[in-house]
Amino acid sequence: MKASPTDVLTGIYYIDGDVAAGYGALAAGCKLVAGYPITPSTEAFEAMCRRGPQVGTVFIQMEDEFGSISAVLGAVWSGVKSMTITSGPGYSLMMESIGFGAMLETPFVLLNIQRGGPSTGVPTKTGQADMMQSRWGSHGDYELIAISPDSPQEMFDYTIKAFNLAEKYRCPVMIMSDECVGHMTEKVVIPEADKIEIEPRRFYKGPPEEYLPFSPDPDLVPKIAKAGDGLGLYITGRVHDERGYPVKNEEFKAKYVRRLVDKIRLNKDKIIELKEESTDDADVVVVSYGISSRVAVKGVEIARQKGIKVGTLRLVTVWPFPDEKIIDLAKKVKAFVVPEINYGQIVFDVARCCHGQANVVLIPHGGAGVHNPLDISDAIESAAKEDKKIEGVVEFKTRLEKIVFERGLKIKE
Amino acid sequence: MNSIISAFSKGIEKSGIDRKKISMPSDVPFTPDVVKALGVDYFQIPRGRAIAFGTGLKLGNPSLRVVPVAGDLMTLGGNHFVHGARRNMELLIICVNSFVYKKIAGKPIPSTQSAFSPYSTFEEPFNFPHLGNSCGAIYTARWTALHTEELADSVAEALHKHGLSVIEVLAPGPNYYTDIDSIELELLKFYHENSTIKNNEDPKNVAIVPDEKIIVGKFTDKERPTFIDSYNVQHSKILGDKFTPHGGKNG
Amino acid sequence: MKAKETKMKEIHSAPSKKGEIHPMENLLRMDRMPHIWCPSCGIGLAVTAFASALEKANMDPNMVSIVSGIGCTGRVAGYVKLDSFHTTHGRPIAFGTGIRVANPKIKVVVFSGDGDLIAIGGNHFIHAARRNIDMLVVCVNNFIYAMTGGQVAPTTPLAAYATTSPYGCVEPPFNIPYIADSSGAVYVARWTTLHVRRLINSLAEALQKKGFSVVEVISPCGMYYSRINKLGDGLDMMKFYHDNVEIRHGEDTKNLDIGFQTKIICGKFVDRERPSYMERYNQWLSGVKGGSRDEG
Repeated sequence: MKASPTDVLTGIYYIDGDVAAGYGALAAGCKLVAGYPITPSTEAFEAMCRRGPQVGTVFIQMEDEFGSISAVLGAVWSGVKSMTITSGPGYSLMMESIGFGAMLETPFVLLNIQRGGPSTGVPTKTGQADMMQSRWGSHGDYELIAISPDSPQEMFDYTIKAFNLAEKYRCPVMIMSDECVGHMTEKVVIPEADKIEIEPRRFYKGPPEEYLPFSPDPDLVPKIAKAGDGLGLYITGRVHDERGYPVKNEEFKAKYVRRLVDKIRLNKDKIIELKEESTDDADVVVVSYGISSRVAVKGVEIARQKGIKVGTLRLVTVWPFPDEKIIDLAKKVKAFVVPEINYGQIVFDVARCCHGQANVVLIPHGGAGVHNPLDISDAIESAAKEDKKIEGVVEFKTRLEKIVFERGLKIKE
Repeated sequence: MNSIISAFSKGIEKSGIDRKKISMPSDVPFTPDVVKALGVDYFQIPRGRAIAFGTGLKLGNPSLRVVPVAGDLMTLGGNHFVHGARRNMELLIICVNSFVYKKIAGKPIPSTQSAFSPYSTFEEPFNFPHLGNSCGAIYTARWTALHTEELADSVAEALHKHGLSVIEVLAPGPNYYTDIDSIELELLKFYHENSTIKNNEDPKNVAIVPDEKIIVGKFTDKERPTFIDSYNVQHSKILGDKFTPHGGKNG
Repeated sequence: MKAKETKMKEIHSAPSKKGEIHPMENLLRMDRMPHIWCPSCGIGLAVTAFASALEKANMDPNMVSIVSGIGCTGRVAGYVKLDSFHTTHGRPIAFGTGIRVANPKIKVVVFSGDGDLIAIGGNHFIHAARRNIDMLVVCVNNFIYAMTGGQVAPTTPLAAYATTSPYGCVEPPFNIPYIADSSGAVYVARWTTLHVRRLINSLAEALQKKGFSVVEVISPCGMYYSRINKLGDGLDMMKFYHDNVEIRHGEDTKNLDIGFQTKIICGKFVDRERPSYMERYNQWLSGVKGGSRDEG
């Protein structure tokens, strides 16, 4: 169905990524936003607070992140689309409830504007070190979807897509942005409402006595209900059967937890979105996501000027991970170069899928800044020249690391 | 515990509220047949988050009547409780306060480590109605598993209140006992001998103190604008026509 | 402007002449000066009052630990020359409980803001008060979340503006002395950054009190609260305090609500005795085991 015209702020804007994501959420029909201020994500929440009352979206600043995520889950079960916005420390606090949301197959969106970590870290500067946490952060087995936009325009577009994916697959969707993209101000074009596709919630519409809350449709996703419809919902975070009643033994667990995982794994081809360029005859492929992919554009350009055949693979969807694509490319290329603003997270999944058929080079970065494009082009060059097969992940020594560790850091007086 | 459920059910009946509109987020693990008998929507949520979840439910659909039944209200859920009371979210919180009941040297003695029990080893419990009232709850009451009629009446009354109501119920928790029948009788006798009804008592004075009678009753009953009322009033004032009041009339 | 900046740099980097030391130098981390607080901020006043109180109460600085959370006031731990801990958001009281219970000889001072202590830290606040953990909590209340850019706080008055209440705050604020009192705190006082002398006396008293003490310090925030609400700058706020504060010692804490630009009641409201957590613990332990932990 199409977006509602009152929700969409059609026009051409010059706004930052946070605000664009906020407008995207409102355009997607988000009717409750519960948040807690945390740098660098506050602007998204503030934008939704300003515009929300004008489009019928309720906002509430909860007392802490536990409250925010719980309120979001409650709102979804009362029948509306809901979202929360946070960054590193808040994300860690929300983990229990994210697992709860995954277990209950609650569709919601969580916008994580990553910052320098760990712990309080560097609140005002960028980082990409929550990527593994977005997949494995909560305890237990579950799968969810994580998207990594790289510009304010994508923040708008992919927030809407995130809501659509959440409704379609009844799972939490993480928008793993970062401070750089969140605070970057660029042109954002918001189209007319009738050009925006919204996935409606798949409510159960049959007779109440026949309702089975967790009985899946052929695509492994059950129809959802909401409180107050007289269906006598029994919704629990314990492992449950189709009726929602708790079960204990291993047969049941094999059936019901398996479906939670399969729901995403078996629908991977419909969920994963990648942006691939010049990978057919490439010697080296740069695998990147988020702000690093934008920096990589320059690095790749410099490498190409030197005559190296470089392709790029941008992971728009980071989870579920595009195993098949990497396995396929590993057979053809010499090496993968993975620039990340962390000390190695997604690169390990790339290495896992390579099965030793291609080299894997990590260009790490501690955060509070982005890569130097020259590092990326140098890494590409050395990877292209390397004919030996090297096991494991090779770390490329960046200029920054050379300054810090070899020449020594001077503490300012 | 069963008497609490039936009192709750009776209370819903007395209030005249449509059961289908009642949502019960709770960390107490009710069994499916209990929930079916109550006829409400039940959500078993992680410890302590019943009120926050309930806030989401209420804000998402203001026509719902949300009744968080909290087994663990003050430990993990303490923050949500005090802030929910401050905002006057329209919730009816039923807090089940169970004293673990042990047999020491053949003599039954109530003792527990919880934040509520006066018989706890070395911590003073919360004076729960007082804390709730001082944070802004509009209706506070305490009953025991013995006072089922009064509890049903309280529930019926509180379901019509606009704001955060809290009813503390002293009841034996079902998980701790092996010998449930005899212990339940012992505990009911204990409540009978040691509780006294004092309606409209100042909540400051209703702390549960060892060796003194447990004071039960309906303590406070007042009115205050709810969160949604306040939200609507403030936004209508500033935005005028551009704003549609959320939820129309409350419930 | 350039000349003023150069002058300030000179002052800060000039070596102190012989015999000339700043009176607070032994209690402040001078190598981290200048601090990050804005012009018009009242936190600096609270810090100097605290440093004076430490001296007045004759506390051994080696046995005092200061714990802060996240926020503008949360930066205090970084500027005070005691054992300082800058913890995660909302957890200074929990952290301080750990320090105190593990080593009862250390006096714990939690110095943080209204958002950190009462919003996300609300649970720790009421439980520590209930348990009567021996610590002093200095809560600097500027009615807003200043560090993150001016969002609404649980103390923001009704109808006041903040970035996350762009049409006015819709939630009634907390009355910090009331919640501290009803949770069981043994010493509760409120002052503003204008009443520095009284604040120093209160802090000195609270430092020597056994049990959970709370001193609320009302402070201007020129960058966000008073700017967004068009209340002028720090000096205008101080003038407002001067004209609108009423000192009423022993007032019932339930009458201490602060509305938007209304009268503020200050004073010492609660000063009572209750067995502290460690006292009760020792009592229990000696009953059970016949031993006890050192009472500091």
